[in-house]
Amino acid sequence: MSLKKNDEMDHNAWLKNQDLTVIETAFLTTLIWVDKRLRIVDYLELLETMYYRANLQMPKSHTEQYDLDNKFWYWYPLYSLGSLSIIAYLVAAVSGAMLGFYYSPSTAGAAAQGDPTAAYDSVVLILQDVQFGFMLRSIHSWAAQFMVAAVFLHMLRVYFTGAYKEPREVNWILGVVLIGLTLFFGFSGYVLPWKQLSFWAAQIGVEMALATPIVGEWAAQLLFGGFTLGQATLVRMYILHVFVLPFVVTSLIALHVGIVWVQGIAEPH
Amino acid sequence: MTDDNDPMTDGGTDEEARTDGGPPATVPPDDETPTWSERKENSQGLAQLTYQYFERSRREDEDLRTESTYVERDVLGFPAWPHETIRNLAIASFFVGMLIFISALMPPHFGHPANPGSTPAIILPDWYLYWSFGLLKLNPLNPELAVLDGNILLGNEFLGIIAHGIVFGAIALVPFLNKGSARRPVEEPFWAAVGVTGVVLSLTLAALAIQNFFPFELDLLVTLTFLLPVLCGIITYAVLKTMREGYMYDLNRRYYMLRPPK
Repeated sequence: MSLKKNDEMDHNAWLKNQDLTVIETAFLTTLIWVDKRLRIVDYLELLETMYYRANLQMPKSHTEQYDLDNKFWYWYPLYSLGSLSIIAYLVAAVSGAMLGFYYSPSTAGAAAQGDPTAAYDSVVLILQDVQFGFMLRSIHSWAAQFMVAAVFLHMLRVYFTGAYKEPREVNWILGVVLIGLTLFFGFSGYVLPWKQLSFWAAQIGVEMALATPIVGEWAAQLLFGGFTLGQATLVRMYILHVFVLPFVVTSLIALHVGIVWVQGIAEPH
Repeated sequence: MTDDNDPMTDGGTDEEARTDGGPPATVPPDDETPTWSERKENSQGLAQLTYQYFERSRREDEDLRTESTYVERDVLGFPAWPHETIRNLAIASFFVGMLIFISALMPPHFGHPANPGSTPAIILPDWYLYWSFGLLKLNPLNPELAVLDGNILLGNEFLGIIAHGIVFGAIALVPFLNKGSARRPVEEPFWAAVGVTGVVLSLTLAALAIQNFFPFELDLLVTLTFLLPVLCGIITYAVLKTMREGYMYDLNRRYYMLRPPK
């Protein structure tokens, strides 16, 4: 086989021979340019295959086949609770990222006990000086509440429609883990402003950890940075809230939804 | 391929092709590369089992597809664009709009700075952790769990932590206890009753967490915490059972109207 360029592969000559509009020429030129470097045509083919697979004639679902919509219509709005919790999660992520521009996780600056710390002051700054800051904190807080509420109701919907049954046990357990993580997300966020209630909520957390035999002290060190609350606690809660939990929860949500995609929605019978 | 097991009696004509113990260290020519089915036949143990299982499940799939009574759709389903997309956009916008509206109406309270020196009269987490906080306040139960001479077996806080473990464990176990294809609460009154018991228990535990706000004695509150959920569960069971009887009555009536008894 010779290394000379084959004439059939001369795409530019082929392009010139065609009678094309400007848009078509630009599109094809870009496509050829990118494809020469990244061989995207293979991926386009994959996409095409997926498109046709998705639009195949599907078998009728149980509800369709037996015409049960008239019986179960009242369940259907509750089937949106899962996606509503994801939407609330996204709103909390965006508003939280913006709050993160101004928040500083530090207990410095308190001359005496009960004085405002740097963390508290940064939240006061957000509330009083930052444009739209008051609303931003309000949105972040309410998005968290909406998310937890939606997640709880989603679990109830799954329970009472029996959607957790046989092939879906793994996803149910994944959901239980996600609820625990969501609650911990909320808890760590509750601690961050370092106000009176934050501090004492964290105090209860430390006491709970310390009351556990064997692993308790280790857990207190890991999560709260010691047996008494202070700078280390705040930084750990901050890193958990803005770095660790977002990664873990986002990937678990992706897995959760992916499993639903693979297994299909469990319809009522 | 050369046959390994063939003893070499002639003193090593193709000694070069052999290594110390293993098969010949040469790459087999293309026409001798085993096909997948040959590999499958040659494989042993776990690999063979995996191949066998794959084949079985593929056959099962095939059977299910051919024997299925499912009717094919005569249309291409509910179109993703524009129908489903617009519906989702409407739901999402409404939800986010409500969120922003409520944020504007009811901004969260911002309290005093942390003071390790003074414990506030009321310590509360966010509402969604009230049930968990209630589980930490089960210490009135603790002496009753004691067996040996009235000594408390567990620390009060550790009792609360164990309660958390029991709650999460029980929830995680549900799909392994309740199987089958029943979906609606009416079909399984017992499990619906268990669910209602759990929901009401989480509410009463939340009430236990804010016990300071209730004007009656703690003993009564603790009793109610566990009595109310069971009561609600029993009521749910009775109601669903009755509904089911009603459905059966209807079905039976239609049946006897069609085929009256002789």
